[in-house]
Amino acid sequence: MLDRLAGRLGPAALLLPAVALLAVVFVLPLLRLLELSFSDPAGAATPYVELLHDPIYRKVFAATAWVAVAVTAITVLLGYPFALALARAPLRWRVILFACVLTPLWISVLVRTFSWMLLLETNGPVNRLLVAGGIVERPLALLFNQTGVLIGMVHVLLPYAVLPIYAALVRVDPALLRASEGLGASPARTFLRVLLPLSMPGVATGGAFVFLLSLGFFITPALLGGASSITLSMLIDGFVNERLVWPLAAAASMILLAATLAFLAMAARFVAPAAVAEVR
Amino acid sequence: MLTRRRFIALGAAAATAPLVAGLPRPGLAQGRPLTFCSWGGALSELEKTAFLEPFARSKGIEVAHASPTAYAKLKAMAESGQPEWDLVDVGGRFIFQGADLLEPLDMALIPNAKNLDPGWVTPKGVFTSTGATIIAWNTKAFPADKGPRSWKDFWDVKAFPGPRGLYKPFYYNYEAALLAAGVPRGEVFPVTDEKVKTALAKLREIKPHVKVWWTAGAQPPQLLSSGELAMSSAWSGRIFAIMKEQAPVAMTYRDGIAWGNAWVVVKGSPHRKLAMEAINYAISEEAQMRLLDVGTYGPVLGAAAAKGNADQKKWMVTAPENAKDMLILNEEQAALYSAKYDADWNRFQLE
Repeated sequence: MLDRLAGRLGPAALLLPAVALLAVVFVLPLLRLLELSFSDPAGAATPYVELLHDPIYRKVFAATAWVAVAVTAITVLLGYPFALALARAPLRWRVILFACVLTPLWISVLVRTFSWMLLLETNGPVNRLLVAGGIVERPLALLFNQTGVLIGMVHVLLPYAVLPIYAALVRVDPALLRASEGLGASPARTFLRVLLPLSMPGVATGGAFVFLLSLGFFITPALLGGASSITLSMLIDGFVNERLVWPLAAAASMILLAATLAFLAMAARFVAPAAVAEVR
Repeated sequence: MLTRRRFIALGAAAATAPLVAGLPRPGLAQGRPLTFCSWGGALSELEKTAFLEPFARSKGIEVAHASPTAYAKLKAMAESGQPEWDLVDVGGRFIFQGADLLEPLDMALIPNAKNLDPGWVTPKGVFTSTGATIIAWNTKAFPADKGPRSWKDFWDVKAFPGPRGLYKPFYYNYEAALLAAGVPRGEVFPVTDEKVKTALAKLREIKPHVKVWWTAGAQPPQLLSSGELAMSSAWSGRIFAIMKEQAPVAMTYRDGIAWGNAWVVVKGSPHRKLAMEAINYAISEEAQMRLLDVGTYGPVLGAAAAKGNADQKKWMVTAPENAKDMLILNEEQAALYSAKYDADWNRFQLE
């Protein structure tokens, strides 16, 4: 009945409500933001010139990209084995492992970030454990520096890497793996030559998700980072809340949006749209 | 059976219904009570109990409380013409930085302003309590009576080793750095390029020892009592509040940067008259006297401060024995350097 309805309406009609909603709550405000970015009393393009010419802002752009790359690399390296375990685990274990991935997603990022602040303190539980276990002699500086930012962001973003990789892994036909083994390949060779290449679309999708979300991250670097961990979104926050220079904030947002779209266009060449669609 | 047209109409209605419900309706603002917004913590608590609850009782009205103050929200509200806040506690520099977003005060409604020191009254904001940005330390790092006694000590990492905390914006740091560099109090203002250069050079010296550039008033008390920081700049009231809870933290007013908490009325507020009456009440002797017992932020009214006993005067910014060692923050100048040297400040942070 629903199928027939969908067939009669055509995809365009079914998309209409979502498109209408996005037009009102997303596209219109975005256009307003674009307009705002050109509304500097000192000249329409002034904010863009300032942002793109001042070396200090270029440094922030570079720092933002660096954090995003580092977080992406770590989440993929941590997420892959986890996704593999998830795909191989017996059903009962799979439920528990899935809960481990999904439960944190339902807890506010702010709460998780504050929890990390307590855990990573000089005299916090992590450092006490490391010192008591004789692993380190004196407490490590885990907070208010790049380390804290990476720990916090990897924790928040890990599920976004695990789920697409898992989806790619379960799609791999087990017969291919058996065939590889049957032809005398070692497990390592089977993994490297068969499973890994076949799951690469999942890795690319997960990596792209994490990278894009990292670019706009705000709360975690603001609370766990040090003076030099200024990301583009923190800069925008300063423009909005401290200096109240909204055209500059709007221009910085537009640059971030442009960078995101550029990356997405690049990623689209490696990530088939179908692969994204199959991530549930 | 659903027809195609009806199906689409239903979908469109479902998609737009929440939007229509969320649109601001004219006349709604008049329906809400007088709304006050402040920074939270010890300050909001004091303003509620000492000023606004008694005011509400005397007028037979209700006052709603919000926190924390956010300048961007205030700007958006004032520019939309439908503010959700009427009366807001802001940092003094915002009276100047955000002048276009504030109602001019009708001094006929605030007759008590005449009793204040003229420095506490401006055309768009009146200071209602006093505090300071002071040096606080963890007493396990340095005993309560052997802590840093000046910004020079704060900069002295040999005599006072340990991780430091400073405020994230240039605000307060400009003053602290110049005092540490030996600039006399009387010469910290007016701001000049030369002085900004000196301040940044001095801050460059301490930067490797600054572990946290704090952004929220709640951070220094927490980071100092957990021992994460050995010393930090902090808002006096927040430190008094945790010292009362026996936290291992001590502070000094020596070299403190004294300021007031300013009350302003948001442009377009439907309760502007009532808000100004509330300001008038807050600076009345009756209301100001209540601050003496709270012991976090002090009175602005000299007549009330003078009535404090010896114990109370110990923590009061305006008590002569404290005030003589402090710098009074020039908020108009602070508004200037905050805006003008923002890019330099960002550059300094990223170095």
